[in-house]
Amino acid sequence: MAKTKLEEINRNIYDIKNKDEYDFKIKKGLTKEIIEEISKQKNDPDWMREFRLKALDVYNKLELPTWGPDISELNMDEIATYVRPKTGLSNSWEDVPEDIKSTFDKLGIPEAEKKSLAGVGAQYDSEVVYHSMKEDLIKQGVVYTDMETAVREYPDLVRDHFMKCVPVNDHKFVALHGAVWSGGSFVYVPKGVKVDIPLQSYFRLNSPESGQFEHTLIIVDEGASLHFIEGCSAPKYNKVNLHAGCVELYVKDNAYLRYSTIENWSKNMLNLNTKKAIVGKNAQVDWVTGSFGSKISMLYPMSILNGEGAKTEYTGISFAGKGQNLDNGFKVVHNAENTSSLVNAKSISKNGGKCTYRSLVRINEKAKNSKSSVSCESLMLDDISISDTIPVNDIRTDEVEFSHEAKIGKISDKTIFYLMSRGLSEEDAKAMIVRGFAYPISKELPVEYAVEMNNLINLELDGAIG
Amino acid sequence: MELLKLNETPVRTSRNFNINNIKLENISIPQEINNFNNMQVYGDESKVIIDNQNTKLNLTYGLGDFFTNQVSNNANKKIKIVIDKKLNKEIEIDFKFDKENNDLIDNIEIVAEEQAKGTVILKYVTEKNIQAFHNGVIRLLAKKNSKVNIIVANLMNESSNNFMSIENKVEDESKVNYTIVDFGGKNSITNYFSDLEGELSDNKLSTIYLGKDNQLFDLNYIGELRGKKSNIDIEVQGALKDNAKKHFKGTIDFKKGCKKATGNENEACMLLSDTAKSLALPMLLCSEEDVEGNHSSSAGKVGEKELFYIMSRGFELKEAMKLMVRAKFNKILDNIKNEDLKNEILDSIDKILD
Repeated sequence: MAKTKLEEINRNIYDIKNKDEYDFKIKKGLTKEIIEEISKQKNDPDWMREFRLKALDVYNKLELPTWGPDISELNMDEIATYVRPKTGLSNSWEDVPEDIKSTFDKLGIPEAEKKSLAGVGAQYDSEVVYHSMKEDLIKQGVVYTDMETAVREYPDLVRDHFMKCVPVNDHKFVALHGAVWSGGSFVYVPKGVKVDIPLQSYFRLNSPESGQFEHTLIIVDEGASLHFIEGCSAPKYNKVNLHAGCVELYVKDNAYLRYSTIENWSKNMLNLNTKKAIVGKNAQVDWVTGSFGSKISMLYPMSILNGEGAKTEYTGISFAGKGQNLDNGFKVVHNAENTSSLVNAKSISKNGGKCTYRSLVRINEKAKNSKSSVSCESLMLDDISISDTIPVNDIRTDEVEFSHEAKIGKISDKTIFYLMSRGLSEEDAKAMIVRGFAYPISKELPVEYAVEMNNLINLELDGAIG
Repeated sequence: MELLKLNETPVRTSRNFNINNIKLENISIPQEINNFNNMQVYGDESKVIIDNQNTKLNLTYGLGDFFTNQVSNNANKKIKIVIDKKLNKEIEIDFKFDKENNDLIDNIEIVAEEQAKGTVILKYVTEKNIQAFHNGVIRLLAKKNSKVNIIVANLMNESSNNFMSIENKVEDESKVNYTIVDFGGKNSITNYFSDLEGELSDNKLSTIYLGKDNQLFDLNYIGELRGKKSNIDIEVQGALKDNAKKHFKGTIDFKKGCKKATGNENEACMLLSDTAKSLALPMLLCSEEDVEGNHSSSAGKVGEKELFYIMSRGFELKEAMKLMVRAKFNKILDNIKNEDLKNEILDSIDKILD
């Protein structure tokens, strides 16, 4: 069968560049003086300034990872870690400056807010420029605000949870995040409150040779539930940009949290993000992830099942094209009895792209009667791409049911032949198969986001079938 | 004794996962290697050439420089086995460790000539109450259209140390069936590498391991598929009781050009106590589109329903467990046509599970 022609695609709306205008941009590099200047610019309380400096010390002591993609091109001396846009935080869409508003309009954020969201946060470079939430949630005591406001207005809650789930010595880029973090979202859902429609934060990095280090802290209190959606994009520049965000999720006893991500960073972005959830008794956290952008991605969301009966599910897809190295996966640690985890990971490699699924399932001694099932499938669309599966399964007790399976291969010629015999062209048949392959992930998203994900797949495949 | 770091995986993952290599402390490495005389050859002895010249080894992987160099420079048994068309009996070599012969550094080369067929059995046993040391390299060249069965039985006691590096080169249309029985050794560390360079080359690797007390098994199996329509099947079945621990690292690597190659890997670990531990890294690496790769891995205790069924037929728990373990191992044990060896292995299973 003839080879499918694979071309680089036009990412249209995601590549819109605004003029690099800002209110303040810190000088490039990473020194104690720079950290102190960021802290001053952000009016940090003393504890936060000290925290940043301590994190810088840890950053300087830790080594780069000795595994995974080569990130030696990252030179922190060439990255500006803080860029404050030319606007303050607004609760009214009309007050957001025209060029920034226009970018988010084209990305469909206000439209989505009207149709399907309970609240929206929009971050532009290092600061959140817009935040809003429906009145009835405010009345129920739900807090959804930017992290800086949370540090000021909920100091005890923030101090008790900030970088406790993801400690700064976890790895080098968490330490970097601790030193330079800015922006991000804080959500608190009080006991028993069910937030029926999702909240969304959208992160846009416009400034070249800069980094985005937003911090997301979500506390879903006992018996409460929430669906949180995170979207990310940036225009493409010639030099690398860095994203080293941090997401900390606390899902208390009997609570439920679904955390969905559509990641579409530009293809000059190094996405070195860290996400972790601590899950209480009979609570559940579900991760749904679509990873399309970035030049290099190293992202492994993690669930720590500390409460008896805690559950987690991970449903993720990565789509790597020309010049992309997406090293993604999932980690779960079972620390209590009757816990369970279910993993369904998929990847598609095309046009010289590389996808790696890297994971850890650890079932500790105390986690009697726990269950874990992992499935990963990789699809190769040509013979110049690479797809690797590197899962670690660490089982430390006998009262468990654990299974892992993985498959790798190309689109079956028989399936293409079957579809073509029903009147489809080869290209349409392949596109249909790829959409079907991604369906288990897209069906987990709210319909508007499933459409966005399908559009991203279409965009990629439009290039693929030239 | 310094910390020994060995058996590196072909691709690294996070250091926190503790699986990129194995670190051993307080391993007693013999400094002076004496002769090893307690070796017996059965079958066609004319095909077994014993030579005492050291050979510089260039292994693609191996356990690490220290172990490879020890075999290069200090082997006390250097053996070449030739499988040609005239071979009509299987060859068995038994190495028996005793007080006078408790260190074995063996360098074994097996060459299967074109279109030849044959079976080689290598058996390692220890007398009770000795602490033996074994460091061996087995290299196999399977030339075109050859068909080779190799059985390696490690039946050493659990106070000895067993280190083994195996490398195969598999040419066009040749078939290599490797069966490894890994029961012995306080530490049993194996590196297995198969280079399937030939078109339609085929390698089946079947392993059973069984551990008790504080035994540690570190199995690092790597299959590189280079030839068109080449195939590798890796099947690993094991059981662990007491505080025994197993690290399984299995890599199937589809190299560019291996069109229509297939690779399957299945690893299952029965945990017979709540302090036994199973760590597994079943990797699939793929740089070729037109291939099919699958792996599966599982761990857990013996099924309660099955145990209940067997016990309801009058068996005691221990006997029922033995039956279950034997049942899991049977498919692989069926590869061994030599009944004496098979019975010896079955006896060992019973003893370990007593």
